[in-house]
Amino acid sequence: MLERHPSALSSIVAIGLNTFREAIRDRVLYLLLVFALIIIGVSRLLSLLTVGDEEKIIKDVGLAAISLFGVLTAVFVGVSLVFKEIERRTVYTLLAQPVARSHFLAGKFVGLFSVLLLNVVLMSTALFSLLAIRGESPWPLLPAVFLIAVELVVVTAFALLFSSLTNPVLSSVWTFAVYVAGHLSWSLLLLKDKVPEGIARWVCTGLYWLLPNFTRLNLKSHVVHGLELPDGYIGLAALYGLGYGVVVVALACWAFSRKEFL
Amino acid sequence: MASEVAALSIAGLRKGFSGHLGIGRRTAVDGVDLSIRQGEIFGLLGPNGAGKTTTIKMVLGLLRPDEGEIRMFGMPSSDRAARARLGYLPENPYFYDYLTAREFLDFYARLQGVSSADRGPLVDRTLERVGLAGRADTALRKFSKGMTQRLGLAQAIQHEPDLVILDEPMSGLDPQGRREVRDLILELRDSGKTVFFSSHILQDAEMICDRVGILKAGRLISSGLLDELVSDTVRWFEVMVAGTLPAGVESEREAGRENEHLVRVPDVEALRELLDLVHAGEGQVVSVWPRRDTLEDLFLAQTLGDKPGA
Amino acid sequence: MRAVNPLMAVVLVAALASSWAGARLERVADDSSIERELLLLPNGKHLKVASLGQAPVLADLIYLWAIQYYSSYERADRFRYVKHVFGEVIVELDPHYIDAYWMGALILIVEARDIDGGLALLDQGIAANPDEWLLPYLAGWEAYHAERYDRAEEYFAAAEVIPGVPVYARRTRIGMAAAKGDHRRAYAMWLGILQDPVSDAGTLDIAERQLRHLKIKIDIEEIQSWVEKFRSENARWPRSLNELVAARYIDALPIDPLGRPYAYDAVTGEVAAQQDRVLSEGA
Repeated sequence: MLERHPSALSSIVAIGLNTFREAIRDRVLYLLLVFALIIIGVSRLLSLLTVGDEEKIIKDVGLAAISLFGVLTAVFVGVSLVFKEIERRTVYTLLAQPVARSHFLAGKFVGLFSVLLLNVVLMSTALFSLLAIRGESPWPLLPAVFLIAVELVVVTAFALLFSSLTNPVLSSVWTFAVYVAGHLSWSLLLLKDKVPEGIARWVCTGLYWLLPNFTRLNLKSHVVHGLELPDGYIGLAALYGLGYGVVVVALACWAFSRKEFL
Repeated sequence: MASEVAALSIAGLRKGFSGHLGIGRRTAVDGVDLSIRQGEIFGLLGPNGAGKTTTIKMVLGLLRPDEGEIRMFGMPSSDRAARARLGYLPENPYFYDYLTAREFLDFYARLQGVSSADRGPLVDRTLERVGLAGRADTALRKFSKGMTQRLGLAQAIQHEPDLVILDEPMSGLDPQGRREVRDLILELRDSGKTVFFSSHILQDAEMICDRVGILKAGRLISSGLLDELVSDTVRWFEVMVAGTLPAGVESEREAGRENEHLVRVPDVEALRELLDLVHAGEGQVVSVWPRRDTLEDLFLAQTLGDKPGA
Repeated sequence: MRAVNPLMAVVLVAALASSWAGARLERVADDSSIERELLLLPNGKHLKVASLGQAPVLADLIYLWAIQYYSSYERADRFRYVKHVFGEVIVELDPHYIDAYWMGALILIVEARDIDGGLALLDQGIAANPDEWLLPYLAGWEAYHAERYDRAEEYFAAAEVIPGVPVYARRTRIGMAAAKGDHRRAYAMWLGILQDPVSDAGTLDIAERQLRHLKIKIDIEEIQSWVEKFRSENARWPRSLNELVAARYIDALPIDPLGRPYAYDAVTGEVAAQQDRVLSEGA
């Protein structure tokens, strides 16, 4: 007879696949991707304006484009996906199935991140090809691209967390806020020393540790200038980012389980 | 056939919503108790805004009740095992545009835990049951409202759930569509399933329900077997007479067409008298309509506070 | 319920692993990875393009950061990129950022002891802002302190003819000619500016700073001259400056504007000021 309810893995995979297919159809995705590819191409033109290391411009712009468009895609596509489903009540019949809500959200995450990963791979391929054509080895850029992917894990997790909590406009705003704050968290350390002793200092320290420190995941200038990294840095940074991402996804799952569908 | 455990039992259900910016509070569902036996068709009726959809959402776990308990086949409704025995169709459903009917049902079958070997044949069978076999590979964005509704029913019944919950299943359908849905619901009951649906189309409910409940402003003001609530006896007759009325006969009101009058008589005796009079005079009897209490009368009486009849 | 626990365990492990990795990275990152990134700032011309029209704000932010960075004294070797940061980034983004020119010049001259670098930066500023009298005026004073009197005179001559230059600035060139090396004269001039009611806050600031510089020079000259006198009369350098007081050459030892005594090397007989910390005092 019919099985009564699916395993966690199979439902996450099923929903992930479905989400992937849905995200692939979002036109915003293609818009952003094409724009990113154009920018990478344009960097070739920009390099004509500079004196000296022309490849540096291409690498800088390329990595910046991959990172920035990755984040934009994570936020806009991610937020709109969840919103559309709720708005159009597609989600009602899904939640009536014997699938735990947390599995549902985990599946969404898997699907969404797969699309982002695909995006990163496509953009990186374009960038790497451009460099290879010019006779420059692109492989040193790989660690930076890898950590950009890790950064996207965290941003996507936040996008899903906020989508479960509030409307799409606020979700996007909050996710961007976290992204910006994560890149500027080092300034909290500077602020801590300038601020008078007491609660303010604790707040600064607390926020610094709580916010995702995206600077740690940012190897763009390291790879472009060929700077040496301490041993095991990439592993540590990946562990930091992925661990953080897991926690935020768990939070998102919790938020989604508590959600009421009016 | 029906066993002891209720298919669905709701006790003391309450749900309130806070108003905008936390000001004010509106109680959507105010103490609802109902029990549906296995193998019966239950209709939850009521005007718009009565709380039907809110109640159903709470049964489905889409909303959390403030108070009360919901059980399905004896299990708490939040159990996954309970949801496995459940099929649901929301009001005005909308599904993924880009999937075909087949892909759509296949996805839902996966979520139900059907193995890959069984999925294909199951989907085919289901498409046949709802009459969409010819459109198996059409993209959902090309579906008409009626076809979408049928597909919605398909996913609700595909896994042979013991309890099927339908929120306004007839809405937006033409008479043909509504007939098909009614037939499907009857079919489900005949194969031992329990059906719980909400509607504001009373005629449909009257035709197929075993039991009804009338919801008004969050309260269940009437509930019970349809046969008990709505009696079968003739209350009065309405006779349409064309031409001049016999002397002494008053018309209830003027009918639409010229020279047509509507006369009401309280029983068979009075009816015979009237027919004789008309026959003897210059008028003609156009139609005779025996009026029974309909669900609509009951409904209007309950919701507006008038008594049925005159 | 049972399914929750393994999941919670995974999340807990992830949180711990992430925190541990974060703490480790914190120690590693102390090796100025952040600063390095910012120090290797791209050329201002490129940044300008990237800033999408917000170049002045970007200049401000980088300036803010630079000030914080350069005022933390724990970092050795922090002057490697001063010229780049100030001369090629900030002022490229905002060529009219007067503060950046003279602050950068100040850091170069006082902290990194690079007179030529500082003056070059000020020259850059003068070239980009021909209507700004303050830059050649300050450059003149810095040249004066570096005892490049001819250059100082050139700067003051340039400042003098810029419309809007205040009255006392005009007097400077004349005073300069007379005061070549005469610190007391220069001191008096600045004192006059400090007491002048029309001087604005910025100028008063500068005046105070100049007065401090000059006082140090005057004090050192004075002590040095007494040390020399002691030597000529006693055929040896005094063992410490206090000996001068004991031997009644001076009534009391002058102290520097921060309240510290002057340093003295008994072997070479040299009097000097203690390490100057321009940026931390009265910014």
